Amino acid sequence: MKRTLSLLLLSSLTLASAQKVATPIPLGIAVAQTSNTALLGQEEVIGAKFAEKLINARGGVNGTPIKLVFQDTGGDVAGAINAFQNLVSKDNVVGIVGPTLSTQAFAADPIADRAKVPVLGPSNTAKGIPQIGDFVARVSAPVAVVAPNAIKQALKLDSKIKKVAVLFAQDDVFSTSETGTFQQTAKDLGLTVSTVQKFQTTDNDFTTQVTAVLGASVDLVIISGLANDGGNLVKQLRQLGYKGLIIGGNGLNTSNIFPVCQKYCDGVIIAQAYSPAQPSAANQVFVKEYKAQYKKDPPQFAAQAYTGVQVFVDALKVIDRKKKIGEWNLSDLRIELNKQVLVGKYNTPLGAISFDKEGEVNQKDFYVAQIKMQDAKNGSFVFLK
Amino acid sequence: MEFLQQYGFLIATMLQQGLLGLSLYAPLMAGQLSLASPGFYALGGYIAAIMLTNPAFASWRDTLGYGIYPLTWLLAALACALLGVIVGVPALRLRGIYLALATIAFVEILRVLSLNLSITGGATGIFGIPQSFGFVDRWQYLWLFLPLLVVTLIFFRQLSKSRTGRAFRAIREDELAAGAMGVSPTRYKVLAFVIGAVLAGIVGSMSAPFLNVWNAKQGTFDASIAYLAYVLIGGSRSMWGPLVGGALLSALPEVLRGLADWRLVINGLVLVVVSLYLPQGIVGSLSPKPRPPTRPTPPPLSEGPSGPPYTSETT
Repeated sequence: MKRTLSLLLLSSLTLASAQKVATPIPLGIAVAQTSNTALLGQEEVIGAKFAEKLINARGGVNGTPIKLVFQDTGGDVAGAINAFQNLVSKDNVVGIVGPTLSTQAFAADPIADRAKVPVLGPSNTAKGIPQIGDFVARVSAPVAVVAPNAIKQALKLDSKIKKVAVLFAQDDVFSTSETGTFQQTAKDLGLTVSTVQKFQTTDNDFTTQVTAVLGASVDLVIISGLANDGGNLVKQLRQLGYKGLIIGGNGLNTSNIFPVCQKYCDGVIIAQAYSPAQPSAANQVFVKEYKAQYKKDPPQFAAQAYTGVQVFVDALKVIDRKKKIGEWNLSDLRIELNKQVLVGKYNTPLGAISFDKEGEVNQKDFYVAQIKMQDAKNGSFVFLK
Repeated sequence: MEFLQQYGFLIATMLQQGLLGLSLYAPLMAGQLSLASPGFYALGGYIAAIMLTNPAFASWRDTLGYGIYPLTWLLAALACALLGVIVGVPALRLRGIYLALATIAFVEILRVLSLNLSITGGATGIFGIPQSFGFVDRWQYLWLFLPLLVVTLIFFRQLSKSRTGRAFRAIREDELAAGAMGVSPTRYKVLAFVIGAVLAGIVGSMSAPFLNVWNAKQGTFDASIAYLAYVLIGGSRSMWGPLVGGALLSALPEVLRGLADWRLVINGLVLVVVSLYLPQGIVGSLSPKPRPPTRPTPPPLSEGPSGPPYTSETT
C-alpha cells in the first residue's frame, strides 16, 4: 500500500516538475476578498492590482509581463488552504502573496512550503510566521517592531503621561500579540499599566471597560482591536468623558473606522509601517497613481501588497538575467525564486527592505500618524514628525 | 492524481463536515436538539494539538512514534465522553429550544476558556502541528476520515436496529409515553448526547493536523449554526441526511469558486430554496414516503350483519 502510494506520489511530482513556466508569468494573490476580513483584504487586492499595472507598464520581468491570479481566502483557515491549494496545483503560480491574517498563514503557508512554492505574507504580523518554513517570508514588519513607536510619540506629545490603560480584543490573534508588545513597551518606558481590559471583536457595548478605565484615572489609553470594535470603543470612551490621548493598534489602521467613531476618532495615534510621504521613486509613482484613481492616500495594506508583488518581480528579474524565465522548469524556478527573494535588496513603497535568512523583513523606516477628522464622515491620517 | 492533489482537501473537508453533521444527528435520534458539537470538536482538536506540540508530551511522542496519533483520538474520545456525561446529565433536563440555548452556552464557555488559557495558546492557538503519520498531501487525510465515516455509518445503522435505537425513537416520538413503557429517558438521552460528543471529539483530534493550526475559531456559535444547517438541509430523519448536507454545504462555496463574489449569493439561495421547498431535507424528500395508513374497507352495506334479522317477530 505504502509503495503504491509513494509511486503515485512520485509520478505526480515528476509531472509537475516537467512543466515549463507560463507566459505571462503567473503570480498568485491569496487574500480575503469576502467575509469581514475583506475590509483589509480589499485594500490588498487594490495594491496588488496597481503593482501589476505599473510593473507591466515598465516592461514586467525584463520584457515578459506578469499576470496576477487571485484566489479568495475568505476569513477562515479552510478557505485559505483551498485558495493556496488552487494556486499551487491548478494555477501553477511561481510564488504567492498572501494570506491576509496570521491565523490563515499558520494554516495555509505549510501547504505552499511543502509544495516548495515561495510565499510572501503581506500583512501577517504575528510572532513565528517566517519560522513556518524555508519558503515563507513576509514584507510586513512584526508587531514588536512597529507598535512601540506609537507610545514614544505619545510621550513626545505629552511628557506628563504616567498611568496607562490597555484594552485588547482577546479573540483576535493580532490584537493579543500586539497588546503584549504595548504593555512591555509601556513598562520599559517607565509608565504604570493601571488596568488591562479585555473585549471581543464582536462586542458593541463597552460600558464595563470604559468605566474601569475612567475609574483608574489614566492619561493614556492603548487599544488593540479591529476596525469595528476598536472604533466603537474609542467613541464610547469619548462619550463617557475620557479626555486623554488614545493610541490605536494596527487593526484600527484603516479609514474604515471613520464611519464607526466619526468625530470621536479625532486625535487617535496609530503607528505605521508605511507613509505615503516615503520619498522612494517606487512609492511616489504608486501614490500618484493611487491618488488619481481613489482621491486619497494609499493605506498601509495596499502598499504592503504592492511591495509583495514588487519583491517577487525584482527577484525574477535577477533570475531572468542568468537564464530566461521561459526556459525554467516551474518547480526549479520556484526554488530559485525563494533563494533570490531572501538575498536581494529592494527599493519599495515601504522604503528600502531586505530579508534575514529566515524570511523576516528588515525595514528601516517607521512612522506615527494621528487621525484628523474634517467632519463626521471624512478624515485623514496626518503623519507626525 | 492531479485531481486528488487539487481537490483532496475539499473532499476530505466534505467528509469531515459530514461527520460533524452526524455528531449532531446522534442526539437528534433521541429527539434532542443539541448544538454542543463544535465544543467537543474544539476540545478533541485541542487535545490532539497539545499532545502533538507541547514539550510536556515530548517523551510520549518519542516512545510512541506514529502510535501517538491513534492515542490522541482515543484520549479525545474519552475526554469528550466524560465531559459529555458531566454536561449532559444536568443539560438534558431541558427540552427543545432551552436545551439548544444551554448547549450554545457550553460552546461559548469552552471558547472563552481556550482564549484565556496559556496551554491552548490564547487567540493565536496552536500552530505547527505535525502531520498524522507523516502525511504530505491533504488528500491523504482521506485515509483517516473515510474509514471513520464508514465505521460511523455502520455503527448508526446497527444502533437504529438495536434495542437502544428503538428506545431513542420512542423518546423522540413521545418522551412521556416512552417513560411509561419503562424506557429511562434520562439514561438514553445522555447516551445519545455522549455518542455525538465522542464522534465530534474524534473528528476534532483528526482535524487538528489536517488544518495545521488549531484555535478558538474552531468551536464557535457560527459553527453550531453551520452544523444545524447540515442536518436541516440534508434531512434529520435518516443518517444519510446530515452526511449529504455537510458534504454539500461545505463543497458548494469551493465548487462555485469561479463565480467569485456570486458564490456566496448562490450558497444563500440554496439554503433558502431547500428549506422552503424541501422541508424534509434533501434525503428526506428523496426517500419513499411512508404510505398513509389505509382505512379498513367497510363491509358492504347490502350484506348487513350476520345472524338472523332483527324483527319484532323474533320476540
